[in-house]
Amino acid sequence: MTPDAALEQVVRVEWGRLVALLLGRFRRLDLVEDALADAVETAARRWPRDGTPDDPAAWLHTAARRRVLDRLRAEAMALRKAPLLVVEAERGPGGGAMADPGGIVEDDVLRLVLMCCHPALAPEVASALALRLVVGVTTADIARLFLVPEATMAARLTRGKKKIVAAGIPYAVPAAADLPDRMRTVAQTAYLAFTAGYAPGSGTDLLRADLAGEAVRLVRTTLALRPEEPVLRALLALVLLQHSRRDARVGPDGRLVLLPDQDRDRWHHDEVVEALGLLADVPVGTDPLTESYRLQAVVGALHATAPSASETRWDRVCEAYDALAVVNPSPSVRLARAVAVAERDGTTAGLAALEGLDEALPTSHRVPAVRGELLARLGDRPGAVAALAVAIDRCGNAVERAHLTARRDGLLDPPSAR
Amino acid sequence: MTRYVVLVAYRPGDWERADEAERQTYFDAHHAFERYVDEHGTRLSSGALCDADTATTLSPGTGGERVVTDGPYAELAEQVGGYYDVELPDLDTAIAAGRLLPAAYTVEIRPVLRIEGYESA
Repeated sequence: MTPDAALEQVVRVEWGRLVALLLGRFRRLDLVEDALADAVETAARRWPRDGTPDDPAAWLHTAARRRVLDRLRAEAMALRKAPLLVVEAERGPGGGAMADPGGIVEDDVLRLVLMCCHPALAPEVASALALRLVVGVTTADIARLFLVPEATMAARLTRGKKKIVAAGIPYAVPAAADLPDRMRTVAQTAYLAFTAGYAPGSGTDLLRADLAGEAVRLVRTTLALRPEEPVLRALLALVLLQHSRRDARVGPDGRLVLLPDQDRDRWHHDEVVEALGLLADVPVGTDPLTESYRLQAVVGALHATAPSASETRWDRVCEAYDALAVVNPSPSVRLARAVAVAERDGTTAGLAALEGLDEALPTSHRVPAVRGELLARLGDRPGAVAALAVAIDRCGNAVERAHLTARRDGLLDPPSAR
Repeated sequence: MTRYVVLVAYRPGDWERADEAERQTYFDAHHAFERYVDEHGTRLSSGALCDADTATTLSPGTGGERVVTDGPYAELAEQVGGYYDVELPDLDTAIAAGRLLPAAYTVEIRPVLRIEGYESA
């Protein structure tokens, strides 16, 4: 392995553990991340010249640790205190952090995850912090994932770290009774990062699936810390199933390919198999959030295991959406359910199931897009064209808009024979 | 230890409308909060404030002068009705303490800033 590849791999695999180790030792979030980034930069210069060290992670840890100590010494000098005190600071107990109430195995990475995903942090701040500190995604990539300028993301990360330090968000595992609730917050934080990768941008960057993959890595890392946590098992199953279709979602010409038209050979079947295994072990009805993830994963699994689009078990998809609408009665769930109802019970039933969604989602292009599609199936060409025109008008994403426009134009100028 | 000011806000009139039994639940909740803080840290000071309509506000005027007006600095549905100044180990402890306060309150937990080089006169 080349030194560059070795460095990339160690950063990818060990970043969170290194941050956690340094944070456990120094409790200085403001210094630790910069010190580790500096160490990686130094490694990028030195390893190609001197060769990859025997233990790359230990090399980075030592280099980062020295950087933190340098900074602490400089601070101590600035405060006109004896530099020797720094040694005490390093040895002393962590400033402010509560000791674990017991009963739980100490795990620095788990503390790091829980700190980044603390409910006192705004969800978009927590997601960004978790990607940066736990799985080592660069600020530039996090910015691209969330569709904001890099400077905005850098400021968001800084604000998050400042809040953690100033507000005294602990680097600790909470009491066992509080842990399930905190793990649900962790799951929501990771899922927010994942969905950001699939949220259509306003430009031509339809999917940032490579970056959604980093969120999958975050879920995987967290599940490895708490392998029995139902919410994390359900979430990993869900994101794997959604993510397994990434290569089939965009055609060679950059156009959006919808689920029924996707080349199923291009799905990542190893990920589907892993997801099905996880899903089998998620108990039914654990709590609303877990159940919501589980049911969405069930839908994903039904699509993933259908030999072809026409062989999809729409009866079971509808059942899952019916249950989901009880747990999570949101307009987007009702919209997805309407599509499934149209497949199971016919177009008229699907249109009826769209009832009321225009009011609930007044700016969404998806409601008129679905209506247009269903009206087209009924043969109501003017109705379909009008609905698609509304959808095109509302759609902010170039690739999706191109898809809708092509569909509408096909209806305006139909071939003479079907 | 981190020093926090725990601000409590509630709808004006709630307290006045409360009967004796309801007032007792408020007292009990405050006592539970105070006991929790004493167990985990230190109570530095606290106070219940008179209603916001008794407030007087000094605001910066256009020409650098002070304008004195009747009322609180911001008119909101809820008004700050009291505070606790406490020292606690971390935010989780502060949140656990805040949960013990009367359920009708909105509770804001603010860390207290330590300004390097500033010493009180």
